[in-house]
Amino acid sequence: MIIELKNIHFSYGQTPALRGIDLSLEEGATGLLGPNGAGKSTLLRILLGFLPPQQGEGRVLGFDIKQEQPSIRRYVGYMPEDDCLIPGLDAVTFTAHFGELSGMPRQEAMKRAHEVLFYVGLGESRYRLLETYSAGMRQRLKLAQAIVHDPKLLFLDEPTSNLDPQGRQEILELIQDISSRKDIQVLISSHILSDIESVCSSVVILNKGLVVTQGKLSELKRLDFRLYELKIKGDGEGFKMRLGELGCKVEETEDKLLRLFVPSDMDILEVFRIAAEEKIQVRHFVRSQTSLEDLFAKVVGADG
Amino acid sequence: MTIREKGYTHWEGELRARRLAWWPITRLGIRLAFKKKYFKFIYAGAFGPAFAFIVGIYIAERVEDFQSMLRGPRVLEVNPKYFLTYFNSDFLLFMMLMIMLVSGAGLISDDLKYNALQLYFARPLAKKDYLMGKMAVLVFFLLSLTLVPGLLFIVFKLLFAGSFSFLATYPWLPTAVVASSLLTTAFFCLYTLLLSSLSRNRRYVSILIFAIYVASDIFFGFFYENFRKPGFVLLSLKRNLQQTGAFFFQQKPPYPVSWLYSFLILVGICLVAVLVLRRKVRGVEVVR
Repeated sequence: MIIELKNIHFSYGQTPALRGIDLSLEEGATGLLGPNGAGKSTLLRILLGFLPPQQGEGRVLGFDIKQEQPSIRRYVGYMPEDDCLIPGLDAVTFTAHFGELSGMPRQEAMKRAHEVLFYVGLGESRYRLLETYSAGMRQRLKLAQAIVHDPKLLFLDEPTSNLDPQGRQEILELIQDISSRKDIQVLISSHILSDIESVCSSVVILNKGLVVTQGKLSELKRLDFRLYELKIKGDGEGFKMRLGELGCKVEETEDKLLRLFVPSDMDILEVFRIAAEEKIQVRHFVRSQTSLEDLFAKVVGADG
Repeated sequence: MTIREKGYTHWEGELRARRLAWWPITRLGIRLAFKKKYFKFIYAGAFGPAFAFIVGIYIAERVEDFQSMLRGPRVLEVNPKYFLTYFNSDFLLFMMLMIMLVSGAGLISDDLKYNALQLYFARPLAKKDYLMGKMAVLVFFLLSLTLVPGLLFIVFKLLFAGSFSFLATYPWLPTAVVASSLLTTAFFCLYTLLLSSLSRNRRYVSILIFAIYVASDIFFGFFYENFRKPGFVLLSLKRNLQQTGAFFFQQKPPYPVSWLYSFLILVGICLVAVLVLRRKVRGVEVVR
């Protein structure tokens, strides 16, 4: 198990951020999803040892998150969300500096800094002062410093923020390439569901400080529910209410299409029976492909 | 911009815990200081008094050789007062302040401004390692201006005299040099880091470092001139350093106030700095 957490609690003063997180992550790239304030960044900070959990216990790469933080940080790479740099430095010195702080010998850190800067696409501009870097270049630089010491686990906090579509695609390719190595695990915190869907094999969704769902993306999309799209004629309020009572979740799109999340154990004919009883005409009924967005909408809410 | 010119490759080495985890921070800090505009000139200029005092030691020794032929009192004599004159000289203290201003103001404030703290603390680095690394940058510059010249003065005095009689007369002098250097260095370091941790703007920090130091002396001057009470000496950071320095070199303090009060004020400022630094320096901003 790469990460194992039990009943982790953390509050900022009176405001609870994490309310009993239980989590176990296996190998592969995992997406950490959740609306603003769900507790994603707090969870990452606890995993890195920036914040001590007020309750609960956990292990990262086999090291205790309360007792063995230095060991965790030695083998973990962290790419923060904010722009981070040291003014007056070029990219090589910057990257090598953090490699050295992770425990690499000085010469090795310098050599490796050159390699990773070429890898992330900053090879040509590696001697430029960091203050002159564009937002996209700074994003790549953060990735370079996160992988310079060849970590076993990589935490990426919003890795594609502030990037144009092409830059975003390139960063995602890099992450995909890194995570395709079986010996580097990646945990990506992001708001952009399509990024997670394209890179991650597993997903953890947080909401209001709790894990609302976790598991393999393919299984979650397939097993947890079925999604149908339907159009109806008539007063749909009663129809929607009765479906809700049966455990279905109903969303209405802007073009009056109903998206119906049906529990896996429910007979789909029930929908037609209720429609008949409520005197509703069903004019369109199609099984839809479920996406991560649908899963997210179901467990967190469309407005999450 | 091409990416993935090479695929991701592993590093074959082994990550090891460093005995001096703070050393890379210090090395980088010193390197960055020398890249700053004018720093080299200020730093070189700060060695002016040390050079003049070494020349003074040589002249004093030569004059002593011919003392029997000369009439009148000795013009130049190398004794603890000579050392104190160096350590308490306004010029040296001012140059040290300038060095703190240029090399120290941004040490923490730049990391706060550019969010570098979270990168440092995502490494196997404790808060004390980070602070040690930053402090050591200033310690390097300050000790090179206090401890190194102080000890060199003793060495040159012995070399020029060709005997150990000077040390036999003042056996406590090396200890005084070390103690005085350490106090001055510790004070300036912590004073600078304290102010550097209070703002994200290096310019404000520079202004604060200079203004507080100078204003404290101006306040002393104002109150002392108006009320003629030597107790006001405790208001001035510079005079407190000089009062304490006089004690280390067993000389009469410039003002008739116990050196202990000055010492306690300096130690108090250092303690406040440590407490503030412990609170301000952290991997993540926690807004409660």
